[in-house]
Amino acid sequence: MTRAAAVAVVLVLMLAPPLITSNQFFLHLGITVLLWTLLGASWNLLGGFAGQVSFGHATFFGVGAYTTMILYLTGGLAPWYGMVAGGLVAVVVSLPIGLICFRLRGPYFSLSTLAVAEIVRLVAQNWEGLTNGPVGLLITTLPRVAWGAQAINWESKAPFYYIIAALAMASMLATYRLSRARLGAYLLAIREDEEAAESVGIDTVRAKVLTLALSAFFTGLGGGFYGLYFRYVDPDAVFPIALSVEMVFIAVVGGLATVVGPVIGAVFLTTIGEIFRERFLVGHLIFYGLFMMLVIRYLPEGIWGGARRSWARRR
Amino acid sequence: METFVQSVVSGILTGSLYAMIGVGLTVVFGVMRIINLAHGDLVMLGMYGAFWAHALWRLDPFVSIVLWVPLMFVGGMLVYRFLLRAIIPGGELNTLLYTAGLSLLIANVALFTWTGDYRTIKLPYAITPLRPFGIAVPIPLAIAFVLAILITLALSVFLSRTDPGRAIRATSQNPEAAALMGIDVGRISMLTFGLGSALAGAAGVLLAPSLYLYPTVGEILIAKCFVIVVLGGLGSVPGAIAGGILLGLVESLGAVYVSVAYKDTIGFVIFLLVLLFRPSGLFGVGKS
Repeated sequence: MTRAAAVAVVLVLMLAPPLITSNQFFLHLGITVLLWTLLGASWNLLGGFAGQVSFGHATFFGVGAYTTMILYLTGGLAPWYGMVAGGLVAVVVSLPIGLICFRLRGPYFSLSTLAVAEIVRLVAQNWEGLTNGPVGLLITTLPRVAWGAQAINWESKAPFYYIIAALAMASMLATYRLSRARLGAYLLAIREDEEAAESVGIDTVRAKVLTLALSAFFTGLGGGFYGLYFRYVDPDAVFPIALSVEMVFIAVVGGLATVVGPVIGAVFLTTIGEIFRERFLVGHLIFYGLFMMLVIRYLPEGIWGGARRSWARRR
Repeated sequence: METFVQSVVSGILTGSLYAMIGVGLTVVFGVMRIINLAHGDLVMLGMYGAFWAHALWRLDPFVSIVLWVPLMFVGGMLVYRFLLRAIIPGGELNTLLYTAGLSLLIANVALFTWTGDYRTIKLPYAITPLRPFGIAVPIPLAIAFVLAILITLALSVFLSRTDPGRAIRATSQNPEAAALMGIDVGRISMLTFGLGSALAGAAGVLLAPSLYLYPTVGEILIAKCFVIVVLGGLGSVPGAIAGGILLGLVESLGAVYVSVAYKDTIGFVIFLLVLLFRPSGLFGVGKS
């Protein structure tokens, strides 16, 4: 019962803002928070449950974004289908990456994902036939979609808000399902002790590659949404190291391996970051760094993990 | 042929500076098992130190090194004492995430205070390069090369001939055994982190006249740094020196004979191959 109530509260909180306000800044903030919730949750599937700290998730984001843009610009495929295609292409890209990088453990895995992401970024920058190089790709108009009697107004932010809210909720649902599934248990075993997990018969490489694929799918969807929302992508916007790092920070600061953690991390960090950016233009990641350091030092389970523990103790 | 010699020379010149950055990272890793993701940002601080010393006090960047190296040494020791020391027992992934936070903090405070503008140090003697045997050698890079060699030599003398240096090497080989021999591992760690930071700062000062300065330059430097230390084997000082020179050569030869656009990619590909097939480094001296 309490769970149903909690889900209802979250649904209302997530879906209500466009009904209450049409203030563009607040809706943009909401969209940004939800996009980062999606990305934090996607990263968390692998980083939180399996303890595999990837510094290269921008790869999947960028691949998703470019797939969506290229399919629309060359084939006329509507971006909302393109987003799904972007997720699927990200999955395909994730398979060789997983098979290579998962041969390494701990910090070595992290460094290898960083190297792969940089290689992919440089390829995107130089493969001008496919990506248009550093100039980037631009969508000028979105296709007309009927919604009842009228067409969806793509100049308003509300439709984008609902799309990203749906995606963010899907990623949270996936996190919840993973935490209940056999695969989730395998991943926790891998995180705690990989050798022990292997010795009780878990195919650790398979479990990790599967999870990376799932994580890449949602990250790719996020990239596709980015293309749809901003209508412009270039390699520096969708492939930078900073993007990979921000995903890590949102998940870790919010709370690893929890459903709510990435939401908290995204609300907290993105709001501070966007307000800072609005006011000072540069340096909005100061607080990301600061909170990461504070969380690792004082709240290793993240804000949500720490809060949950202190409630449990009080009961 | 002349192109080949030219790119070998510039590869070695740049490589000597890469080596210095790599040595700083690898010494810290050897003693503390920390992969310091903020190392590139310490180099960035050194670069800005040289820039401001030149812009505000008309100090030659290569003279300002005597100011910034001790400052970075003390700063590094303070960072270890008050920030890192409490994190290290939490394990390798925690320190990795913590130094990622530190890196983002330093880079963004720099962005906030100094803006993202690209800056350069304009030196009168940088305009015409030396031309020994018809090969162009920019004077600032040549001075940086000589100083980098002197500093690296001084470091190896320190590590092999002095008591604290020997203690650092002993701790790097086996911290428990070192502690049993009466070495104060905590103090050695602090000293080492100071040393690593000082090397990063020195490399930054030396690089400043030859590169564009901007606050997030550390991101690229740290990525190169990983390539260097993994090539040479994490934890190995001679390995990092060789790795640095090797990366400098790969980049400059790659730019000429493969493609300018993909010269940075070559380094990362080699990095992945080494991690996968020779995880202890090309020379098999590192520990992984």
